[in-house]
Amino acid sequence: MLIVALLPTLSLSAADSSDSQDESWLKEWQLKVRVGYNIGGTAPLGIPSTIRSFEAFHLTPSFMAGGDVMIPFKKRWGVLAGLYIENKGMDCEVTTKGYRMNLKMEEDELDGLYTGHVRQKVRQWMFTVPVQLTFQLNRSLMFKAGPYLSLLFDKYFGGIAFDGYLRKDDPTGPKVVMGTEENQWATYDFPDDMRTFQFGLAVGADWQFYRRFGLSVNLCWGLTGVMKGDFKTVEQTLYPIYGQIGFSYRIR
Amino acid sequence: MKILICMSLISLLLVSCFKEEPSNSECDIIDAWVEGEELKAYFYNDADMRIENIPSGDQKIVFTVRSVNGLPPMALHLNMTSGAISNPVNGSVQDFSKGPVIYTVTSEDGQWHRQYTVSFTKVVTPPKFNFEHYKLEEPKNKYYMWYEVADDGTQNEQIWATGNAGFIIAKPNASADAYPTTPDVNGYEGSCVQLTTRDTGKWGKTFGKPIAAGNLFFGEFDSQYAITNTLWTTKMGIPFTEEPLKVTGYYKYKAGPEFTDKNGNVIAGRIDEPSIYSVLYRNQNAAGEKVVLHGDDVLTSDLIVSIAQVASLPETDEWKPFEMVFVNKAPIDATILADRGYNLALVFSSSKTGDTFEGAVGSTLCVDKVEITLKK
Repeated sequence: MLIVALLPTLSLSAADSSDSQDESWLKEWQLKVRVGYNIGGTAPLGIPSTIRSFEAFHLTPSFMAGGDVMIPFKKRWGVLAGLYIENKGMDCEVTTKGYRMNLKMEEDELDGLYTGHVRQKVRQWMFTVPVQLTFQLNRSLMFKAGPYLSLLFDKYFGGIAFDGYLRKDDPTGPKVVMGTEENQWATYDFPDDMRTFQFGLAVGADWQFYRRFGLSVNLCWGLTGVMKGDFKTVEQTLYPIYGQIGFSYRIR
Repeated sequence: MKILICMSLISLLLVSCFKEEPSNSECDIIDAWVEGEELKAYFYNDADMRIENIPSGDQKIVFTVRSVNGLPPMALHLNMTSGAISNPVNGSVQDFSKGPVIYTVTSEDGQWHRQYTVSFTKVVTPPKFNFEHYKLEEPKNKYYMWYEVADDGTQNEQIWATGNAGFIIAKPNASADAYPTTPDVNGYEGSCVQLTTRDTGKWGKTFGKPIAAGNLFFGEFDSQYAITNTLWTTKMGIPFTEEPLKVTGYYKYKAGPEFTDKNGNVIAGRIDEPSIYSVLYRNQNAAGEKVVLHGDDVLTSDLIVSIAQVASLPETDEWKPFEMVFVNKAPIDATILADRGYNLALVFSSSKTGDTFEGAVGSTLCVDKVEITLKK
């Protein structure tokens, strides 16, 4: 929604009245290369009440690079397809109260309700193929929306539970205190439980602000959870929801 | 600018969805006490009128009194998890002379309950232990615990403790016989207790605690520190009202094949050893506060008045006797002794340095027919 609110400002600055006379530019196809940065999270839709606060959000090397081509098919409408290589990472710290965790290590499970700090790290390097419908507002501004499919080739999902305690099994179970240093906190990592394919929807805009150079914003909303269906460490399904900002260069 | 917008977009997505804090679902009794000048006479000392920091796994709260007969009805005060309520009501007067009273604690959210059995008894620790009385720990029946039976048939579960409650965190699926402390029907006479140093698996390694020595000791095990401060899990010692002179018994020992350090690396040539010792210490400090020694200070505290240690326990497949004589470090006050002012810790472990996670997986110490010789 913020992106939508942002767009009139962009379009104002990009206003170019001469466009209305000559519309031949609308028939040109566009080839762009782009680099960008993803910022966002792998999070449940609707934070459960057992997550109490965000303590820290650390930047991750969530870069993207790639190229795409837009072919116009009717007046201002076109279709875009491309190939990107990107990372949707996350590194954040939250506090929880009675949050259900099921930490599995081979056949041994540590299952219970956790109250305390959790630092969660996610790394998802992937190839992404977007297929988007585009709308050319004017020469410099183009909106786009459509699905994407990603193939993950390097993935990590893990973290630590520290400075808190776990009630084993349920709130009446024995308490297990987690400390604030290594060997005193519970680490977990479950890269093998992550899905290899992700699917989602992306909406965004490209603003060609100077000659062939452009800026872009995108919101990528994952519709598949990042973890496989039988994953139980966290109760909720975690969706990758990332905003993307980037620079583009139009080759033609 | 755009970075800011994007970041605010994301944080909006996330932060805007915080919900109201859920009510507490825990329902523990943390401290329990009785108070009043008129009640002091029924207790050996004032410290016995309070039981604090009750381990989260405990379901029994036992007060020790001089005599149960003639015990007046008393108001029991409880410190519970915030928002929890109890039935009978916190602070209500109950007649404990008729036997234990069951308290049901309900959590603030109303969803969870815990039952505690509160009793006032005259605890007598016998001087002889044959390890015939053991059962699976309630309510989950995952591992064994040991108790003693008095002449009048009452069971006393307050004497022996083991580290089994910590092992369940590392190996929740282990069968009861795969725990570090288990019974063995092939004792010197009847059953004995068998202590085995165990591998704690992946979780143990994660927490830098690759092994768990089998142990059995006088006192209490508080599993909440199993990860953060293992030495604090062992609350060593129980009040003891007579002066011990020596401890005798029978043992068998076999060291495990590979001695490993706390990182799990094999130390070639080092042979594991068991450990049997006993310590009598003053259980109150100068300020009159209750003191319990833990794994980290049970052999070094200034409060120790007497120590006994078995010098050498060679490997043996046959039952062999052992004996350790108490050596006094400080004078023992007869009045303080009679008023439960000293704690006795009696400790058996399958790996002497198991408290620092050094030992050999498979080291096995069997113990039976233990007797404390008391000063007449």
